Amino acid sequence: MLIFLSFSAACSSASSDATMHTNNWAVLVCTSRFWFNYRHMANTLSLYRTVKRLGIPDERIILMLADDMACNARNKYPAQVFNNENHRLNLYGDNVEVDYRGYEVTVENFLRVLTGRHETAVPRSKRLLSDEGSHILLYMTGHGGDEFLKFQDSEELQSHDLADAVKQMKEKRRFKELLIMVDTCQASTLFSQLHSPGVLAIGSSMKGENSYSHHLDSDVGVSVVDRFTFYTLAFFERLNMYDNASLSSLFNSYNPNLLMSTAYYRMDLYQRHLDEVPVTNFFGSVMKTIHTDSAYRSGSNKKVGPAKTKMSLEQSISDSDRIILRNSDEEGPFNNLSVEEYLRDSVGQIWSAIFSNVNTFESIDAFVCYGLILMLPLLIFSTWLSK
Amino acid sequence: MGANENSSAKPRVRPIVRIGIFLISHSNIVSLICFLAGVLALLLLPVLAKNTYISENALMPGSANNMLSTHQVSDASKFIKDLTDLEFRSTTSPIESQKLIAQYMSALDAEVTFHKFYPQFSQFHPPHFFTSSDSGLIAENGTCSSFGINTIGIIRAPRGDGKEAIVLVTPYNPNKVGLGEAVSLGIAYSVFSLLSHVTWLAKDIVWLVADSQYGEYPAVAAWLREYQAPVFHRVDEINRETCNASTTFNELGQGLYLDGKLNSDFRRAGTMAAALVIKVAEQGNQYEDSLNIYAEASNGQMPNLDLINIVNYLAVHKQGLRIKVKKMWSLLDSRWLNALGVIFESLGKIARSLNPQWKFGIPATEYVEGAATLASSLYYQGLGVPTGPHGAFRDYQVDAITLEISPKVSLTKVIRRDEFILRGGRLIEGVIRSINNLLEKFHQSFFLYLLTSPSKFVSVGVYMIPFALLVAPLPILAAYLHANASNSTPQIPSASEVDVRHKSWKWLNSARKVLVTHLWGVVVSLLPLVLCRIPNTTLTLNFVLWGLLSAFSLLILYLILGCPIFEAAGSQHEKNKWASLKSVTISTTFIGLSLMSVINFATAEIGALLIVPICLLARPLKLDIQARSWRTLLRASCNIALGFVVFPPISFVLLTGAFEDFYGINVGDYWNWVESLWAWNSATYLYVGVVHLPCWALCIHILFHPC
Repeated sequence: MLIFLSFSAACSSASSDATMHTNNWAVLVCTSRFWFNYRHMANTLSLYRTVKRLGIPDERIILMLADDMACNARNKYPAQVFNNENHRLNLYGDNVEVDYRGYEVTVENFLRVLTGRHETAVPRSKRLLSDEGSHILLYMTGHGGDEFLKFQDSEELQSHDLADAVKQMKEKRRFKELLIMVDTCQASTLFSQLHSPGVLAIGSSMKGENSYSHHLDSDVGVSVVDRFTFYTLAFFERLNMYDNASLSSLFNSYNPNLLMSTAYYRMDLYQRHLDEVPVTNFFGSVMKTIHTDSAYRSGSNKKVGPAKTKMSLEQSISDSDRIILRNSDEEGPFNNLSVEEYLRDSVGQIWSAIFSNVNTFESIDAFVCYGLILMLPLLIFSTWLSK
Repeated sequence: MGANENSSAKPRVRPIVRIGIFLISHSNIVSLICFLAGVLALLLLPVLAKNTYISENALMPGSANNMLSTHQVSDASKFIKDLTDLEFRSTTSPIESQKLIAQYMSALDAEVTFHKFYPQFSQFHPPHFFTSSDSGLIAENGTCSSFGINTIGIIRAPRGDGKEAIVLVTPYNPNKVGLGEAVSLGIAYSVFSLLSHVTWLAKDIVWLVADSQYGEYPAVAAWLREYQAPVFHRVDEINRETCNASTTFNELGQGLYLDGKLNSDFRRAGTMAAALVIKVAEQGNQYEDSLNIYAEASNGQMPNLDLINIVNYLAVHKQGLRIKVKKMWSLLDSRWLNALGVIFESLGKIARSLNPQWKFGIPATEYVEGAATLASSLYYQGLGVPTGPHGAFRDYQVDAITLEISPKVSLTKVIRRDEFILRGGRLIEGVIRSINNLLEKFHQSFFLYLLTSPSKFVSVGVYMIPFALLVAPLPILAAYLHANASNSTPQIPSASEVDVRHKSWKWLNSARKVLVTHLWGVVVSLLPLVLCRIPNTTLTLNFVLWGLLSAFSLLILYLILGCPIFEAAGSQHEKNKWASLKSVTISTTFIGLSLMSVINFATAEIGALLIVPICLLARPLKLDIQARSWRTLLRASCNIALGFVVFPPISFVLLTGAFEDFYGINVGDYWNWVESLWAWNSATYLYVGVVHLPCWALCIHILFHPC
């Protein structure tokens, strides 16, 4: 009953969006190969590190790297990649999971990842398993031009292709909100064909502008990071997982003089005010990750979940409830597990406090015990009053 | 063409045909304009030169800090000291120095090998024009006692794939070690010792110490031949059977074989990405350390411009060396060029005052310098003789240049020398690191260009224009003459159909004459093959003999093949005969020049400048003198002067006089020049023999035509 109450409360306080933000994904793409494009790999790996630090787990990051600079014979520091000439931070340390590497990074594979049309043999770790409640960060870097982005020195992703893929994603309800961040020359042109709602796009340069590298590492002998990415990273270095910095503060942090190009935002497809959206909505994760003992337990939960919610559906009286519950049926295995967290996010403070308190109690027995102990001071107090 | 003229009367003619007819009918004016425009465009080239830029993204010259430190330099200094000390010990054999070099190389954990070669003395091989000298002719004339030994050290890239290599070449004469050569070895050694322990190598490094006692080029060429086109059976067997002198070669490695570091077989690395020949000039330039770049390979081939660009960039911006390319010094003080420069400068200023966007004027001094460099660039490309050992690499499509570094002060002062080695070594290191970044062959930048300064070039698209303008009048005039010749004759009313046919094929007679003359040209160019077998001749005697034999062969050819020409000549067609002959001559000249422009553009350009005026002007002197107007007399005198100038030996003397000095030129020099041309398989020699000389002879023939 308590659960049901909180549900209805959640619905009444929900925003105009039909669904809630339940999980975060990141697709990070470096599209260019060759040693002199070292900085693109460093860009992507830096962003990978940042989103990981801010809470997106590795299984929800699709990392695509078109070349392996770490093992290039020209690399003075074998098996290491740096994004700064001070060499303090090795981006290619432990726990870097590259999902698509080398010649696997193609326009075809990129579009397959976005639209989710994989061949059956592709493992789950290489798929973007997002859903209607997902916030997706799509970061791309490489060499671009007017309405295209070069992949692998052999093919191009056109703005039409990207817009089409995003449209398909929207149709398939693969995201709630999508932030596309592109660091290439003439990056803004890549967004010109986008029409799907819920998409926010930011590019490093306007049409006709180049995006420049930030600095040269004269020890390694190449430029190690691009300006736009460098200042993005500089912004995020000041943040931790719990910060509430808004997207607008990120966007305002770009100084055209430092970038040597004009960062471009496309906001007309995005409903919310940027002041109200914390950057962690895209670059971090709102969720606690849930530990499961076995990999397939979530599957069995999926079957249990709907049955439970259907029961509550029968008791419900509001239509909006129905929408939510139906949605939760359709969602992936994670969502059923995290019904509680749903509520915690959306319900007011008191409700969530009570609910979490309730939730933490392990059993009715313990509840009764604690209740009795609480009764004791009450008893003492009342006897003291009756004196 | 006659048909075209007739069809112009018809109402509908396609515009292109109409333009053609217009050009042909005004051929005199068109020729004059085209020729003058061609010369003007040639003179404008220094103004039109663009700044060089590094076209290949991957190169990134100067993006990495130099790692070469005083540590390597002091090692190199010790190496130089050991080398020069060997020289003073009079008892040592020349092999000792090679041993020393090999020891130093193997101390750096490099693979060391010796390569023994028999110098291939330059010989005249007419069939081998256009093909790189092939491996079949090794050592047929080399004697057993004279052989050279190249020392080669190879550093393998630790994480590279072993498919590519960068070559460093230091020519070195073990019999007479000069300080300059020792220092150049020291510079290479300092770089080599650095590269033996760096982690960033992606290409193997080959250091070739070329034994230059028989010349620098043959040593490098022999090593390259072995590297690229090995012969597996013949030479070794012959050597083993006939030569016992190779014991010295065997004892060479004895000390090192024991270490297991010396490899007895020929070692290779991957395909060569680029090669750098390092030289140090002993007497320096007083003002500052400077660097001379030599790039011309055989037949006017040039290395990719990017290679010159990175050297230029690193030398100027990183090491502060003054960089130079060859110049025609005599042109620098020439007054007419200065005047021209001033004119162009003022024209540029006027243009800029009209529209600030037009920026084509350059200062007069810069113009003169550019023109002098351009002239030298044209001359050395046109000559077709490589300007250094780097030429051997171009035969295998490897980009290579020679870097000659000259110090400011004498190299005998050790402290100053160390500083010099540090600078030179850092330059070489930077260039190697940049080439190491390269992913493919050099291909981005230009292969066809002329330099007007180390940082300015004229690309093929621009320098084709003067040539095209120079040769454009030839076909137009030929068409005009042909049309005239076939039009003006059939005025005799009794002309039957047979007669008409006879006339329309009349040009075949002239063609036969031209063909015979060109055949004579071939014979003349083959004559040195016979002449060089005659023992004990001086240069002058050779030249005189050659001249006599040429004249004799001309006579014989005329007697054998030429007779029918004179027989067929009816007196009534005499007037047109010369025109028809001129038309065919001009056509063949045009074809010859166009073909040559494909093989060696610079030769074609210079050749066109010489031969086109006389081709256009040639007209029987008799007619001109008969006319007795000042115009025809002027033309006749022009023709005589041109006919004199264009004769190959005379134009050679004039050209060398203009570019170098008249002092001490004798006829033997021409023989010398020709000898060097054929020794280097220069296509220019063929051009002079097969195109230029016959054209000149035909023009002279037209001048003295009995009308």
